[in-house]
Amino acid sequence: MMENNRKDRSQNYLNPYFGGVLLGIVLILTFYITGRGLGASGAAKSTVVTTIQSVAPEYAKKSHYVSQFISDDNHPMNNWLVFEVLGVFAGAFLSGTLYGRLKPRVEHSPKITSKKRLVVALLGGLLFGFGSQVARGCTSGAALSGMAVLSFGGIITMMGIFGSAYLFSWIFKRLWI
Amino acid sequence: MKEELFVSGRDIPNIDPFLNIWHWQIPIYLYLGGLAAGILFFAGIFTILNKEKEMPATVKWAPMLVPGALVIGLLMLFLDLKHQLFFWRLYTTVRFESPMSWGAWVLMAVTPLSFIWAATYIKEIRPEWNWKFNLLEKFEAFAVKNRKPMAWIFIVLSVVLGIYTGILLSAFNARPLWNNSILGPLFLVSGLSTGTAVIMWITKNPRERIIMSRIDLVLIIVELFFITHMMMGMLAGSSVQIAAAGLFLGGQFTVSFWVFVIVLGLVFPAVLEILELAGFKIPVAIPALLILFGGLVFRFIMVEAGQITRYLY
Repeated sequence: MMENNRKDRSQNYLNPYFGGVLLGIVLILTFYITGRGLGASGAAKSTVVTTIQSVAPEYAKKSHYVSQFISDDNHPMNNWLVFEVLGVFAGAFLSGTLYGRLKPRVEHSPKITSKKRLVVALLGGLLFGFGSQVARGCTSGAALSGMAVLSFGGIITMMGIFGSAYLFSWIFKRLWI
Repeated sequence: MKEELFVSGRDIPNIDPFLNIWHWQIPIYLYLGGLAAGILFFAGIFTILNKEKEMPATVKWAPMLVPGALVIGLLMLFLDLKHQLFFWRLYTTVRFESPMSWGAWVLMAVTPLSFIWAATYIKEIRPEWNWKFNLLEKFEAFAVKNRKPMAWIFIVLSVVLGIYTGILLSAFNARPLWNNSILGPLFLVSGLSTGTAVIMWITKNPRERIIMSRIDLVLIIVELFFITHMMMGMLAGSSVQIAAAGLFLGGQFTVSFWVFVIVLGLVFPAVLEILELAGFKIPVAIPALLILFGGLVFRFIMVEAGQITRYLY
């Protein structure tokens, strides 16, 4: 039963190794077309900066962190990563359509509730967003794109992200298995 | 030395660096006008084809949104006016050479007719509906009997209305981006496309949705062709036209135009519609919303960018 279920689910997704090759090709094309790498957290950052700037413009000017992304001649949302993430949404929607996964649901372990999964995911996301700003990039911007150009920082980031994932999985594995 | 007094028109405020006197009201009005034209056009067509039963959303339900769209659109026009109390003067004259006169009179005809059309179908939603006055009941019976002639009038007037939303811009000779003859048909097709998007969004009939989806797909392809054609025409023109096209081909509107209008507003919904016709399950709200959003952004960009382009360099 379990095996059967797993097989059904695996047909809903691309083969992960093939997916990895595709991602690599996307990365090469990104370097070729845009002259820079992929990113993800930058789009979230632009959104946060824009929100702060419209809600509390005085604070945005004073804040050391936020002010560095604000300039008079460019809107913070006018950033290639924002448009890249719009494309990611569109692509995810297409992939969900093609593989018949297109319905709202929360992916979680049978041992926890949807609510718990959402709360934990939000906490994890907050930590990751904070970490990505301290490390000046996330899995895509620092680790993936960094390693693609053989940047030492990229290799350290990748080791940091996956190394700490191995460490902390011992504590958090009950959330999944 | 003879002293001379120079008077320059360019001293008028807002003329330099460019004249920008049309704000958010105008694109919203052009959008709602095109949307209303699109819905009424298909309501007319399918009424004449005797498809009221097969296409209920097209003929009956979507047109109920039209009076609201037109009234909000007219309110936008009114908000834009400098001398609002004199709006009625548009109705003291008929000028065939003025797009504003065309628009004023077409709307004067279409708006009341769209109210009457929607009213004739109210009893199909709420059978207990009662018009209270005998005269109104008689008028309703008269309108119900004359749906076919009204449908013919809708087909003609909706095309005039849809084209007029483009002509309103293209009649400005001093604005190179607007001043091309493709803008009228382009706005008409875009309006028809947003109309089909509304219909396929609200219909509960799968057959009707597929028909509207197919029509929309053709309209999107035509629209893309018109946009290409507009760019080709401008690039083959004088240097002011080339500069106007340059706003979309590397200039300040490049990203918003290509990302929101072309990719997310036309190509991506077209891909989703093709996938749906191929049998994949897609929530219809997504392509419909993208088309509606793309159409709105398109009008905002055209109105904004057009005001930047000019002949004096």
